[in-house]
Amino acid sequence: MKENNLIFSPSPNIHTSRTTPGAMKHVLIALLPAIFCALYFFGLPALSLLIVTVGVSILTEWLITKYMLRRPATIGDCSAALTGVLLALNLPANLPLWMGAVGAVIAIGIAKMAFGGLGCNIFNPALVGRVFLLISFPVAMTTWPLPDGGFGDADGATGATLLSLVKMNGADLDSFSRLSFLVGDVGGSMGEVSAIAILIGFAYLLIMRVIRWYIPIAVVLGLVLVDLGCGYPIGIDIISGGLLLGAVFMASDYVTSPMTRNGMLLYGLLIGVITAVIRRWGSYPEGMSFAILIMNGVTPLINRYMRPAKFSSVKKEVDK
Amino acid sequence: MRSTFKIGGIHPPGNKIADRSIELLPLPMTATLPLSQHIGVPAKPIVEKGEHVDRGQCVAENSAYISAGLHAPISGTVAAIEPTVLPSGKLCNAIIIKATQEEHDADTAVRELYWEKVNSRIPEFSLCDRYDKSEIIKLVSASGVVGLGGAAFPSHVKLASEKVTTIPELLILNGCECEPYLMCDDALMCAYARNIAVGIELMMKASGIKNAVIAIEDNKSEAIKAISAAIVSREGVALRVLKTKYPQGGEKQLVEAVTGRRIASGALPISVGVIVQNVATAFAVWQAVATGQPLIERVVTVSGDIPAEQRRNYMVAIGTPLAELPCERPPKCRSLLGGPMMGSPVVRYDASLMKGSSGLTILSGEGRKAPMQCVRCAICVEACPMGLEPYLLSTYGRLRMCDEAREHAVADCIECGICSYSCPSNRPLLDFIRVAKQRSRK
Amino acid sequence: MNLLLGSIIVLGVMGFMGALVLYSTAKRFAVEEDARIDEIVSLLPGANCGGCGFKGCRDFATQSVAKGSLAGFRCPVATKAVLDQVAKVLGVESIGDAERQVAVLRCNGSCHVREQQYEYEGPQSCAVIDNTAVGTRGCWYGCLGCGDCVDVCSFNALRIDNDTKLPVVDDKLCTACGACVAECPRHLFQLRSIGDKNEGRRVWVACSNKERGAMARKACAAACIACTKCAKTCPTGAITISENLAYIDYKQCIACGECVAVCPTGAILANIPHREVKLEKTESQA
Repeated sequence: MKENNLIFSPSPNIHTSRTTPGAMKHVLIALLPAIFCALYFFGLPALSLLIVTVGVSILTEWLITKYMLRRPATIGDCSAALTGVLLALNLPANLPLWMGAVGAVIAIGIAKMAFGGLGCNIFNPALVGRVFLLISFPVAMTTWPLPDGGFGDADGATGATLLSLVKMNGADLDSFSRLSFLVGDVGGSMGEVSAIAILIGFAYLLIMRVIRWYIPIAVVLGLVLVDLGCGYPIGIDIISGGLLLGAVFMASDYVTSPMTRNGMLLYGLLIGVITAVIRRWGSYPEGMSFAILIMNGVTPLINRYMRPAKFSSVKKEVDK
Repeated sequence: MRSTFKIGGIHPPGNKIADRSIELLPLPMTATLPLSQHIGVPAKPIVEKGEHVDRGQCVAENSAYISAGLHAPISGTVAAIEPTVLPSGKLCNAIIIKATQEEHDADTAVRELYWEKVNSRIPEFSLCDRYDKSEIIKLVSASGVVGLGGAAFPSHVKLASEKVTTIPELLILNGCECEPYLMCDDALMCAYARNIAVGIELMMKASGIKNAVIAIEDNKSEAIKAISAAIVSREGVALRVLKTKYPQGGEKQLVEAVTGRRIASGALPISVGVIVQNVATAFAVWQAVATGQPLIERVVTVSGDIPAEQRRNYMVAIGTPLAELPCERPPKCRSLLGGPMMGSPVVRYDASLMKGSSGLTILSGEGRKAPMQCVRCAICVEACPMGLEPYLLSTYGRLRMCDEAREHAVADCIECGICSYSCPSNRPLLDFIRVAKQRSRK
Repeated sequence: MNLLLGSIIVLGVMGFMGALVLYSTAKRFAVEEDARIDEIVSLLPGANCGGCGFKGCRDFATQSVAKGSLAGFRCPVATKAVLDQVAKVLGVESIGDAERQVAVLRCNGSCHVREQQYEYEGPQSCAVIDNTAVGTRGCWYGCLGCGDCVDVCSFNALRIDNDTKLPVVDDKLCTACGACVAECPRHLFQLRSIGDKNEGRRVWVACSNKERGAMARKACAAACIACTKCAKTCPTGAITISENLAYIDYKQCIACGECVAVCPTGAILANIPHREVKLEKTESQA
């Protein structure tokens, strides 16, 4: 009895249409509004930086899988491209291109592939790349071009971000229009400037069920709590300094965030608190990158202690 | 707001595409009856090789407290009692009955007459008054009735468990049928709602339970209509429409959805005062008491990626070889006994259909995709209806870390397959959780 | 300059204080341990295979020191010389020369004798396949060929043969730690004497099919069909048949290879060149 046309495999024999590369692609799509804003405000330098970081990220991963790990290429899962885009969005638009390339190599080579590739990294690769650049080239990394309100070269004026202005000079907050923050007409890194673009992306991710609301909302909540405690203007704090970009796209990264709802809430809350603490009492005006990286390190601990609520949490009664 | 269970769960595509009418499948010339078709101790053969048996005659009896008898689905001669293949290709001792053409024709005529009678007569609730508790249980036990939802737990044991001293408060009739493709309970409820209702009252009388709830998911509107018409003005029997969600047909999930009570790890529904029976079992109980026909036939759904006119529900004699179920199998297909979520693979078509087989599902679509690294997206954790951590348990299974698996309650896993289904990285989560479960039991 | 000096002093003092704290805690909370444990650990192979029944080499050492003798302790990996040294450390008599053992596979269902019947899709793991169905080659008892045993072998003594798709034991590397015996979902491995008394020759029944002859034969051309030819041929009466399978009592077996020659299905294997002798014979007959 031979049944040659039969295939057997253990149950279940149907599978969801969701895939990991698909999730990565959805995140890339969700980033499109932010990318568009960055290109609109910062023009050509932003585009070339974006192309360099994405290109170098993909190339680095391909070279490492091919020549060092000798494994099938993994660039098809889009995670390298995503890292490149996120890195670019975290950099000032007028950063020298070679610095962007260095950041991409560090992000993919050290933070991701050295740990074993997608799924194995402890820290968010794009943030590692960004922090590496921030510490190595502090001046270049904190010279923010001011958008000139339209396509064109933005190298004319540079300045500090709002948060650093507040920190250094105690600038008068009323001199800035709230609206300009929402649409992104302010100084800052490529992706962080437009709050609205990021929120559109957030809405897209929620609708496509790529991420849950837990982490981004908890991050904002954590920041608000500290702000309330020390009487700091909340609105400005939320929509500036890369908080939204980090909360929506970086903190919610699958690999480096906890596995349970309660764990995610705690993780997000602590990111918000640490960010606020760094902003208030640390020496950096923005603290989002460091806060996320610190909490990335704490994630395994959270996973260990924040277990999901089991169906059968009750002890079995002695009925025998 | 229609209730459902609280933790996890998913909505796989329902694909309830089979025809809802029930067709009589011709009796087979050869019937194979594995002795272990139910949970518990295998039945003990009471016939010998070469002996003649009549259709409906008991051929193997209860051999222990938890066991169920077997009855000849066809008249014929016992050809052999020997190890025979199951659909999975594994071996089990079985009684093989072969019929001659005359016997086959006679059986067919008797069977057609029987179903004509069942279809034409309206079952009476007064049936319950004619029998007392122990008589019903005796009849159920003698008819070899087992849970027809899939687990095949002997029904008489559930109805009158020696170990339970208090009478349960509630009988839940499981009509959820949450598995995609399967429609046998749906078909049965539409066609024999009143028989089921009488069966339920028989069960209530047998177990002394005063209240019964029939739980049906809200995607079976016809069955809901039929059942609610059948139980009109019956005291103590209620219909409960639940929100569709997989795996609602799981005992623990169903009890929570209906009563809000949670069954403890490793415990049975009886520990929260509930007994769960399948609606098809209620029909089998009615048959056993009202017509005296033991469990020798059941409804089976044939569905999947086969021509539309072949997606049907059949009344099939237990012991019929799977090859006799009419369906055109496309090349390179996967066929499953049961639904696509929990059904077990079929590798042998000469093996027979058993009491717990609710359907034959043929899938020809793309099979398993190559697994990728786990990206810790936590979808499996969120979807697990038992609140476990499938990604972790699966790793423990792969690395044979039994103590850790036990610590993380691997034994609670109900093998519903949600984790493997929903993993975006196509990881074989359940496969290794099964390994962990098996190894940590030792 | 002052700044430099100041920081050197401050850091130096901090470092010194840290060292003091570390030193005192190390002294205060030091766990007294028998020095012999470390000594024994350094002698043991350090593979932590668990073949002795303890959690690893250190556990073996701790337990043996606690007991103060080596009675009942067995390390399948260490040579007798090593165990003698361990005994010396403990100050006890050396344990007797246990017969060296090796793992053998009780299945010869290579892909030549058992054709692949079904296609399997899923993780390549014997444990998973065994949970699912009969396996791709249709034998209820035979090797599934996914190499779970290879994965658990700490000594690289196992590999899947490309030709037969069956695991092969390298008797030079096998330490009889028993990992494969415990792992195989079909319990096909068996530990047996390596055959020192027969100059390293050994004979074993390479089949575990407990079905009757016809049925076994249907599943696999190399199945033991319990024909009793081997039992009748054996000059020392070492072979018995039970549950439709032949068993060889290794204490009585003299590894003459007669049974290998008479077995009609090739279910008895040996590491002696008898197979080839038989082949030559058939060729000359032809």
